[in-house]
Amino acid sequence: MTPTLHPSGNVLLAERISKRYQKPSRGDIVVIRSPENPNKTPIKRVIGIEGDCISFVIDSRKSDESQTIVVPKGHVFVQGDYTHNSRDSRNFGTVPYGLIQGRVLWRVWPFQDFGPLGPTPT
Amino acid sequence: MSMRLLNFLKQWRGTAKEAFENVSIVAKFLCLLHVTDRYIISTTHVHGPSMLPTLNLTGDVILAEHLSHRFGKIGLGDVVLVRSPRDPNRMVTKRILGLEGDRLTFSADPLVGDASVSVLVPKGHVWIQGDNLYASTDSRHFGPIPYSLIEGKALLRVWPPEYFGSLR
Repeated sequence: MTPTLHPSGNVLLAERISKRYQKPSRGDIVVIRSPENPNKTPIKRVIGIEGDCISFVIDSRKSDESQTIVVPKGHVFVQGDYTHNSRDSRNFGTVPYGLIQGRVLWRVWPFQDFGPLGPTPT
Repeated sequence: MSMRLLNFLKQWRGTAKEAFENVSIVAKFLCLLHVTDRYIISTTHVHGPSMLPTLNLTGDVILAEHLSHRFGKIGLGDVVLVRSPRDPNRMVTKRILGLEGDRLTFSADPLVGDASVSVLVPKGHVWIQGDNLYASTDSRHFGPIPYSLIEGKALLRVWPPEYFGSLR
């Protein structure tokens, strides 16, 4: 999740309340339980919500081949900000809402970057 | 005037202390109840035709534990409570018929024909299916589900009392 999160480690504040009452929106940084390994909780950004049509390059190192998927109901498409080195929905597919653990709100450490984290304003 | 107020408050100090202690006992008990119900063992009301004949159509109350899925002790044939991948507010009860790495062959639509489909359950996923193949929406429709969506394992049925006992 470089450059949003420091590769050497961050302490973030994530809230678990909003996932019960509303659906995640595009641009949110979420903590999910990995569909590949139930003991891991990666942090990724929500790129597409249900109904969105997402096109992505499957593996930029190997070829230019791209794939287009429609995000099914009840799922989100997540992607790490550093697309060159991130295992995300391009690898393990769309993630059901039930696997979202929380939404990242704030960075506490490193102290120089103390501040809110979230959708990048465009 | 303020002396009278102070005296009045002093009289109620003992009662206030007792009331506070009693309320904190109730609060601690409710916390314990909540933690047990959510993270250790709980009763769940299940209904629907998808698990006939194991579970009744009109509804059963089953005892489910929420510990084994955290230690990876969910195995083939277990009846589990999972969060539906289509609707995160719904819990469904199904049986695990495939673990990661298993290859499964099933009949695509038992009412229509004999066409069969073969799938390999990917890493970190399980295959769930209702016992009543004709009236169950399960992994044959929405694919293998991630292991983390499993929330509990059914142990035994407690209601109706004629059917008290293990689910087999």
